[in-house]
Amino acid sequence: MRQKKLLILVCIILLTLSGLTAQSKFNFDRYHTPAELNEALKDFVRSNPKITALHKISVSPGKIEINMIEIGPEVNKNKKTQPAVFVAANMEGTVPISSEAAVYLIQLILEKPEIRKDKTWYILPCGNPDAAEKYFTKPLMMDARNAHPYNDDMDDKVDEDGVEDFDGNSIITQMRVKDPQGEWIPVPGDPRMMKKADWAKGEKGIYKLYTEGIDNDRDGEYNEDGPGGVNIGINFPHLFRFFTKTGGSWAGSEKESYNLIKFILEHREIAMTFTFGETNFCLTPPKGGRKGEVDLTKIKIPKRFATALNIDPEKTYTMKEIMDMVQQFVPAGMEVTESMIASFLGLGAVVNPLPEDLKFYKELSEKYKEFLKKNKLDAKRLDTSGAKDGSFELWAYYQLGVPSFSMDFWTLPEVKEEKKEEAAITPEKLEKMSNEDFIALGEEKISEFLKSSGAPSNFKAKMVMDAVKNGMMTPKKMAEMLRQMPKPKSKEGGDPKEKALLAFSDKELDGKGFVEWKPYKHPTLGEVEIGGVVPYASNTPPARMIEKLLKGQVPWVFQIAEKMARIKINKTETKVLGVGLYRVKAWIENTGYLPYPTAMGKRNNRIFPVIVTIDGKNFRIVEGKKRSLIKGIEGNKKQILSWIIYAEKPVRLNLKAFTSIAWQDTKQIELGGMK
Amino acid sequence: MKRIFILLIIMIFSLSAVYFSSNQKHKVTIPLSFDNYYTYETVVEAVKALNKAYPHLTKLDMVGKSEEGREIYALTVNNPKTGRELDKPGIYVDGNIHGNEIQAGEVALYLLNYLLTNYGKNDEITKLVDKKCFYVIPVVNVDGRVHFFEDANTPSSNRSLRIPKDDDRDGLVDEDFPDDLDGDGNICTMRKRDPFGEFKTDPEDPRLMIRVKPGKKGEWTILGQEGIDNDGDGKINEDSEGYVDGNRNWGYDWAPEYVQQGAGDYPFSGTGIKAIGKYIRKRPNICMVWAFHNSGGLFVRGPSTKGQGAYPPQDVAVYDYLGEQSERIIPGYRYIIGWKDMYATYGEFSEWMFMINGAYGFVGELFQATAETFKSIKEAKKTKPQTEEEMFFGGGNEFERERLKFNDHLAQGELFKPWKPYKHPTYVDIEIGGWIKMSSRLPAPFMLKDMVHRNAAAIIFSAKHTPEVSLDVFEIKKAGKNLYRIRTRLHNSKAIPTMSFHAQKVKLYAQDMLTVSGKNIKVAAGGKLTNIYRNQVVYKKFRPELQFLTIPGFGKVEHQFLISGKGKVTIKYQSRHAGKIEKTITLE
Repeated sequence: MRQKKLLILVCIILLTLSGLTAQSKFNFDRYHTPAELNEALKDFVRSNPKITALHKISVSPGKIEINMIEIGPEVNKNKKTQPAVFVAANMEGTVPISSEAAVYLIQLILEKPEIRKDKTWYILPCGNPDAAEKYFTKPLMMDARNAHPYNDDMDDKVDEDGVEDFDGNSIITQMRVKDPQGEWIPVPGDPRMMKKADWAKGEKGIYKLYTEGIDNDRDGEYNEDGPGGVNIGINFPHLFRFFTKTGGSWAGSEKESYNLIKFILEHREIAMTFTFGETNFCLTPPKGGRKGEVDLTKIKIPKRFATALNIDPEKTYTMKEIMDMVQQFVPAGMEVTESMIASFLGLGAVVNPLPEDLKFYKELSEKYKEFLKKNKLDAKRLDTSGAKDGSFELWAYYQLGVPSFSMDFWTLPEVKEEKKEEAAITPEKLEKMSNEDFIALGEEKISEFLKSSGAPSNFKAKMVMDAVKNGMMTPKKMAEMLRQMPKPKSKEGGDPKEKALLAFSDKELDGKGFVEWKPYKHPTLGEVEIGGVVPYASNTPPARMIEKLLKGQVPWVFQIAEKMARIKINKTETKVLGVGLYRVKAWIENTGYLPYPTAMGKRNNRIFPVIVTIDGKNFRIVEGKKRSLIKGIEGNKKQILSWIIYAEKPVRLNLKAFTSIAWQDTKQIELGGMK
Repeated sequence: MKRIFILLIIMIFSLSAVYFSSNQKHKVTIPLSFDNYYTYETVVEAVKALNKAYPHLTKLDMVGKSEEGREIYALTVNNPKTGRELDKPGIYVDGNIHGNEIQAGEVALYLLNYLLTNYGKNDEITKLVDKKCFYVIPVVNVDGRVHFFEDANTPSSNRSLRIPKDDDRDGLVDEDFPDDLDGDGNICTMRKRDPFGEFKTDPEDPRLMIRVKPGKKGEWTILGQEGIDNDGDGKINEDSEGYVDGNRNWGYDWAPEYVQQGAGDYPFSGTGIKAIGKYIRKRPNICMVWAFHNSGGLFVRGPSTKGQGAYPPQDVAVYDYLGEQSERIIPGYRYIIGWKDMYATYGEFSEWMFMINGAYGFVGELFQATAETFKSIKEAKKTKPQTEEEMFFGGGNEFERERLKFNDHLAQGELFKPWKPYKHPTYVDIEIGGWIKMSSRLPAPFMLKDMVHRNAAAIIFSAKHTPEVSLDVFEIKKAGKNLYRIRTRLHNSKAIPTMSFHAQKVKLYAQDMLTVSGKNIKVAAGGKLTNIYRNQVVYKKFRPELQFLTIPGFGKVEHQFLISGKGKVTIKYQSRHAGKIEKTITLE
C-alpha cells in the first residue's frame, strides 16, 4: 500500500517535471498557424529561460500577437556589447515555409551553444500574421494584406466586396466566362492554362476571367474590395511607393512595421539581417539598374547656386570639391557635412547596391551554390523573386547599412524543355567557353542564340563577335548578363510559372495544385466555369518536403554570420623616444571576412566609425587623439594608429577599440620600465 | 542669391544672440495680450484660460507628450450648436515645431484669442466660427520652447526635438554643447585678435567686422559660437542637442539622415510628432493647414522636393489664389514654392498634409529682417539694394549696419552685445559679443502685435475659403408615365474645392457622395449633367442612386436622375471637407 502510494507520488513528480522541462515538440511535418508559432516561441522561452527572451513587437489589426525571440548571452542586458543578427520571416505573410524556417533556425541555435556564445539572435518568425493566417483559413486564398480596413474601390463602403467560394472546394480560384469582349483563350499546348489572345497571331479572345465570387456591392466590379489593407512586407522606408492599393499610406503606417522599425533602430547592435521570404540575396545578389541615382563624383550644381558660388553650372563636381567650396561661405567654426550638401542640393537616396558591396554578395553566392550542391539542393528551379520596393531586405541594406541577406527556400522545379536543341547556348555552357570557343560557334549559331535569349534586335551577331574579339565582352560576362534577363516566354504563350506548376502538380501533388475547370451557374454572370491554379501551390512545397529543404538550407545562415566583421586590436608597439616621451602604435584589425562597415553603411553614415580610446592616469597625449575614429576597415585588413605620449612615471594605459556591431577589444600598454 | 542667404540662415543654425525679459513671467488674462513672448508654461496657461473662458466654443485636448515628457495641447474652436466638428470644414494651425521659432506660437494663440473674443461681436468672425472648425496646436516642440527660454542660445540654436543624437559619431551623445561663457543667457560669437585673421574692424561701425581683401592685413579671427571643447576632441560645440528636426520627420517622402540632415531614424520617430499625426488622422475634415516657423517672411507651399513633380494645375490655382492674397495681407512676405525657391525638404509636415491627407497648406516663415529698418522714405528711395556678395559674406555690410542702428535707436541697444574680453581655456585672450538670442529671427516685442494680427488675418482669409456647398433641386419634371426627371445642383461658393485634385488623382479617399433614396421610388438612371443647355448627361452604369463627385472652387456640379414611383424622395450630399446636406422633395 505504502509502496503504491510512493509509486504514485513518484509518477506525479516525474510527470510534473517533464511537463515543466520538456519542450513540446515542434515537428516540421506540417505548416503552423501564427498562433502556433507564437505558442512555440513561448515554449522555447519557457524551456530556455537563461538564454532567451520574448519580445512582443505589436498586435496586428486582426488581433494576433507579433512576437520575436531573442537568444544569446546578453538577454537580460538592455545595452549589448556583442553584435546581433536579426532574422525577419514571412514579412508578406504569403510564404508559409519562411516561418517554418525561422523556427528551424531557432531550434538549431538552441541546440548549438557555440552559435550563440558571442552574438545575439533576434528572430521574428512571422512579420505579417494577419496575412499568414489566410493559409489556414477557409476558403483558401492568398492575400498579403493585414486586417486594417481599407476602401479599395473608394466607394461608400469598406471591405464590402470580397470573394466567395462557389464550388464548395474551399479554394478560391478563377471563373471564366464566355464573353464577346473576352480577351483570354486556353493555351493550345495545355488547355488548363489561359493566356491573353494575341491579335497579331490571329488569335481571338473567348473568355473573361474573374476571381471566384460575386459583385457584392453591385458596382460592376468583382471582388475588388475584399477585407484587408496593408502588405507589411512593402511598408518599409526605402523606396517606399506611395498611393498603391496595398502598400499603406506611408512607410511604417502600420503598427506591425512601425514597432519593428523602432525596435531595430533602438538596437544598434544589429549587425546583419536575414529576410526569409521570396527573395534570395544569398543566391542572387541584390539587383541594380534603378534610375535616378546621383553619382557623388559627378554632381551638377543648379544655376542659381552655381552663380553664387562663382562656378560653372555646366560642369560636374565631386562631393569633396563642393564641400570645400561651400565651407568658405558658412559662418566661421561651422563644419560642412556631406548630408548638409546632399539636402541642400536635393541629391536623394542611393538606390543601387554599391559595387564594393556586390563583391561580397557575389563571392558568397558562389560559395552558397557549392553548399547547395553538397546538400543536393541544387536542382534547377524557377528564379526567385526580385526584392520589392519598400521591402524589409532593401531597407536593411540601404538604411541600416548592414549586410542584408535573404533566403527563399523553394521555388517550382524548372520544366525541362522537351526539344531543347543540342546547339542551344546556355549560361552554363557560355561560362566554360573561351573567347575563341565562342567565336568558333560562327555567326549563324550566335545569331540564333541571341534571338532565343531575347536580346534586343539591334544586337547583331557580328557586333557581339567583334566585342569578344577586342576584349570588350567575354563569354563569362555574357553568361552573367543572361542570368539577369527575364526568361523568354514559351512558344505557346502560357505563363512559364504556371506551366512549371502544372508539371509539378501532375508529378508531385496528384494534380492537386490545379482545380479543373467545371461549369457553374453564377447568379449574375450565368454559365461560368470555375477552376485554375490553387493558391500557394507555386510557392509552398508539400509538407513532406519541408524538413529536407530546411535542413539543407537554413544552416547557411551560420556560415554567413561567421563572416561578420570583427574588430580586434591586433598588436601594439611602444618605442621610447626619451625624456618621458613614447611613440605608441596600435594595429586595429578586422578579422572578419565582411567589411566594417559595408560600403552602404559608410555612405549612409549610420554605422559609426571604430572608436579607439586611450585611458589611464598620469599621462598626456602629445600627438594623436584621446578618441580616434576609424571610418572603416575592410575584411581581413588592418589600420594603424599612432600616438606620442608623455608620462613622467611608469603608467599603465588602456587601449579600447569600440564598435556596436563588430565587438570590441581592449589591450593594456605599459610605459616606463614596468616590466 | 538672396535665397541662399535666407537658406543658410534657416538651414544652418548658427551665429549670434537676448534680453527682452525672457524670464519675466507673463500674466495670463483674457483677452490675451501680445506685447511680449509667452513661455511654454504661460502658453499652456493661456490655452487653458481660453478654454475656461469659452467652454461652449472650445475643447481642450492633450494631444500627447514630448520626448522629455511635456504635454502638447490642442484647442478646438467649434460651436456645437451649429453642428458637429467633423461636419464642418476643419482648419488646422500649429507653430513652433522648431524650438527656437517661438513667435509662431504667438500667432496661433492670437488667432484663438481673436476668434473667441470677437465671437458674437464681429459679424464676420461670428459667421466664420459658426461654420468652421479650428484645430490649433500653438507649440509643437514644447521641449524646444522651454529650452530656448531657459538655456543660453543663439537665435538659431535649439531647433531640434530632444532625441539624443551623436552628431559627431564619436560614441558620446550630445556632449559638446556651446557654452555660455560670460553667463548672460546668450550664445554669442567669439573673436580673437589675429594679424593673420580674415577679418578687420568695419571702419563705419567698430562693432562689426568685414572680410579683408586677399593680400591685405587682417585684425580678427572669428572663432564661432561661444563655447569650449567639452569632450576634448579638438572640435568646439560640435555635438549639441539632437539633431532631429521635427519638420523632417513626417510620413511623406521621408528620407534618411544621409540624404537630409535632421531626418531622424524613421518617419514619426518623434513622440510628439507621432501623437500629432494620430490627432490629425482622426480629423479627416481638415482641409486647410497653416504651420508657422521663422524666418524670412515667406508663405511656402509644396512640392517640397523636385523629384515628385509639380502639383496638379487645378491645385496650383487654389494655392495661388490664397498665396497671392496673403502677400497682400502681409506686405513684404513672399509666396514661394519649397524646393524651387528655397531648398528640398523630405518628410515635411505641410507636404504630408497635402499629399497624404488631402489638405491644402502653407508654411508661414514669420518676420522679415527688412522690417528692422532704419531709414527715412527719402533715404530708402536712394539706397541701393544690397548686393548679393554683401549679403552672402555677411559682416560689416550696409544691411547689418542698419540693423545695428535699429538696435541702437529702436531697441535701445538690447539686441546686440558689445564685445568684451574673455579668457578662454583654448584660445586664451578673446572677445565675446554679437547678436543675442532674442534678436535676428524674432521681431522686437513692439512689432509683435502687427505680425500676429496680419498672419492671423491670412489664416482667416483661407478659412473663409474652405468649401461652402449648397444643394438645390432646381427641376422636378414629369418625364413619362410614373417617371420623373429631377435635376440637382451643388454649388461651392468658396475657393477651395471639396476635394483636392491631387487627392482625386491618387484616390486618397472616397469622393463626395450624392444619394437619392425614398421608400416608394426607384432611381432608374442618374448621372452628371455635363451640359444643361444641350441636355447632355453621363449616366452612371451601376448604382445610379449613388453619385461620386467633387465640387471645384467657385464651381458647380449638376446631376440628373430619372425616378419611377411616387412620394417622398430624400437627396443627401456628404463630403469629408464640406459637411452634409439633406433635402426632401415629394413626387406626385
